[in-house]
Amino acid sequence: MPVVNFLIYLLIMIGIYALLALSLNFQVGFTGLINFGQVAFFAVGAYTSCLLVCKAGIPIVLGFLCGMILSGLFGYLISIPTRSLKADYWAIVTLAGGEIVRLIAVNEGWLTEGSFGVMRIPQPLKHLLSKGTYPLFYLVLVAACVVFMYFVLRLLINSPFGRNLKAIRDAEELCLSLGKNTRKLKMEAMIVAGAVAGLAGALFAHYITYISPENFQPIETFLMWAMIIVGGRGNHAGAILGAVVIQVFNVSTRFIVRYVPLGPDVVAPLRMVIIGLLIVAFLLFKPEGLVKEKKKIYELKDNQAGEL
Amino acid sequence: MLDIKNLQKNFGNLRALDGVSLIVESESITGLIGPNGSGKTTLFNVVSGFYPKDGGEITFKGERIDGLTPDEIAKRGLCRTFQIAKAPEKLTVLENMLLAANGQRGENPISALFKRRLVSKQEKENLGRATELLTMLQLTHLRNEFAGNLSGGQKKLLSLGRMLMRNPDLILLDEPTAGVNPTLANDLLEMIRRLQKELQKAFLIVEHNMKVVANLCEKVFVLNFGKVLAEGTPEEIQQNEQVLKAYLGGT
Amino acid sequence: MDLPQIIANSLVRAAELSLLAIGLTMVYDILKFANFAHADYAILGGFLVYTFNQAFGLNLFLSIILAALATGVISIAIDKAIFKPLRKREAKPVTLMITSLGIAIALRNTLRLIWTSKPKTYAIPLQKPFEILGARITPTQIGIVATGLVFMITLHLLLHRTTLGKALRAISDNRVLASACAIDSERMIQWMWFIAATFGVIGGTMIAMEHLLYPRLGFDILIPIFCVAILGGIGNPYGAMLGALILALAENVILALDFGYILSLGGLFKVGSIQINTGYKAAISFVILIIVLLFRPTGILGRK
Repeated sequence: MPVVNFLIYLLIMIGIYALLALSLNFQVGFTGLINFGQVAFFAVGAYTSCLLVCKAGIPIVLGFLCGMILSGLFGYLISIPTRSLKADYWAIVTLAGGEIVRLIAVNEGWLTEGSFGVMRIPQPLKHLLSKGTYPLFYLVLVAACVVFMYFVLRLLINSPFGRNLKAIRDAEELCLSLGKNTRKLKMEAMIVAGAVAGLAGALFAHYITYISPENFQPIETFLMWAMIIVGGRGNHAGAILGAVVIQVFNVSTRFIVRYVPLGPDVVAPLRMVIIGLLIVAFLLFKPEGLVKEKKKIYELKDNQAGEL
Repeated sequence: MLDIKNLQKNFGNLRALDGVSLIVESESITGLIGPNGSGKTTLFNVVSGFYPKDGGEITFKGERIDGLTPDEIAKRGLCRTFQIAKAPEKLTVLENMLLAANGQRGENPISALFKRRLVSKQEKENLGRATELLTMLQLTHLRNEFAGNLSGGQKKLLSLGRMLMRNPDLILLDEPTAGVNPTLANDLLEMIRRLQKELQKAFLIVEHNMKVVANLCEKVFVLNFGKVLAEGTPEEIQQNEQVLKAYLGGT
Repeated sequence: MDLPQIIANSLVRAAELSLLAIGLTMVYDILKFANFAHADYAILGGFLVYTFNQAFGLNLFLSIILAALATGVISIAIDKAIFKPLRKREAKPVTLMITSLGIAIALRNTLRLIWTSKPKTYAIPLQKPFEILGARITPTQIGIVATGLVFMITLHLLLHRTTLGKALRAISDNRVLASACAIDSERMIQWMWFIAATFGVIGGTMIAMEHLLYPRLGFDILIPIFCVAILGGIGNPYGAMLGALILALAENVILALDFGYILSLGGLFKVGSIQINTGYKAAISFVILIIVLLFRPTGILGRK
């Protein structure tokens, strides 16, 4: 029984981080936006949903929706001051932005309960299911969200909108010379990515039932980066694969403590050392990641051009 | 169509453009020549909005365009190519062509998600046009290749292809035949002439090859040290003493 | 508002930040990428100082020299193993930046592994502060400001009076051209790392002297250092010095300001006391950074 519960927990966490990786990949891998503050979207989605549900008493479904909307809005806000910045400045600003969000969560206790965190977050449809089957329901919910977002993002990337984003990533000046409003496109990319990450936040909050600013440290952003670098930027399957690999590594090392003579004081930093080294190693030796970016091929059949 | 008055652009102490005035008439092919460093590419960059100006006026189709962003200028019908051809590496040649198409509906997330049928239809039309153009440019065999894998000359052809897809009123071409084999270069020149006649397009072409300039351009402006040294027909220019001196005796 | 005290505190903080920012800005100038691991190199040095000083009982100055040497060597090794192959491959600056993030994560957590997260101190005995022009300042703090000044002057002399400095400036302007003039860029780049590490270690040790030494300190000072470097003009070491002064003043002044008093126009209206929560001290540099990037991304002394 405990093994099954652990597996369900693992799969749910993989799912939540898969959404975060898909969102980050949309920004980094497809649009070339180097977001070092991704955890901010995660936090905004989580806090928005659980605070509205706990304090304003709105239904959880609405909470999820508001989490997504506010995260998308946050994406819009971030895109404004950063519209003309080069990639490295963009990264620094988002790193700062992520920390500002966390600091606000810590210091504005009247809104966010500060360091105490938000407790007893209600779970959707909890009363309908037995205690035993509830985790399974949540797993199905998370999986459905991942599948849904995977297809939505894939649709977007395969559309002219997605083509523009990829072009911005590789040759922004050319896009401008072709009449593309790159600032607006980047903003739209941030809104979409924000909403996806916000959903992940809401799913997280209502599963764990207790969140605090501690859950939204910069380390989370670094984990997500490891996922997209290992999995492969520029394709959605890679993001999900990366989430699987890194999360399995992450979660399993928590349980290794029982079987290996290393104390948790050693395992925790060692885990992150390996994550850092993985990022470096992949960028040095396998920069495309485990799954390469796919080519979009058009085939011509009898004078009729069509998509393959 | 394009009226540049007294344009100035400084880089620190360097006067890259020192009061340049020139006019490109509608439906004409105008040449821009000059030694290296004379300011030709800088002129392109300022006119197309990539560099801000330090003085002067730029009027396009009766409207002032100095101060606008590059994409706003491009939307008004003024497009340019780059001296070292750019192409998004991980987009295929076909995708590059589609990228350039005008008036695409699916370019924002909402219509990409909810107006799929319309977007799909447009894509098919654009795809047809793109394939025709690629045939003309002899790039069909590369249509599904990543643009990043193309040679410099092939990328130049692709740049021209994108211009053709885009269909602007005025095209600024920065050394269109550099790196392209002579036969294909000739075809390109033919294409430019056809576009001028049949589709009433105007061109401003930066070129080093005087034969191309003499063949193609009705009027030529010579730039030197950021100033217009001379203007006239190709024949007049080729006999202008100052021009010959500036080029150290070259045709 | 205790102006003399604010100025004194700001001078101390400026000295610490400027040495750190100088290293960061140098790497950006010469290797053209933002080294997100820079602050962690500095804190590595800080921990080495701690070990030499506290564990081996060496004199503090000797410890700092040894730590600077060691950190310099380590940063050169990392460059050879990681950044150089990427440079050879003509990797984009963005790739170098993300790689440096990976190095930062690995380095920071290696510090945690070796020295644990428990904060350390240099066991400097409690000192009685002097009273200078109305401000209280301890001998250590005076030492920090003095050290800062000495090193800034040293840097200036280095850049303008030595062949090494001239070579570094040449490489910063145009690396290809510099190689053509028989300047061994790889050797120069190693010197650059060494200088950046040394300045960083001294700056980091000074910060740890004033507060506490812990592995996460690298991340905590990273954004203020970026703010200083960008505020002063990225790539310009003099900008780093100026930026450090401005940020340090801003931090101290903003926290001391009672906005309620200002809003009430000096007592004309009744407005309660409004002060920025000290929990937001870190956020001040973040906000200034964003403002600078919005309105003057080249910074105060920036070129281009």
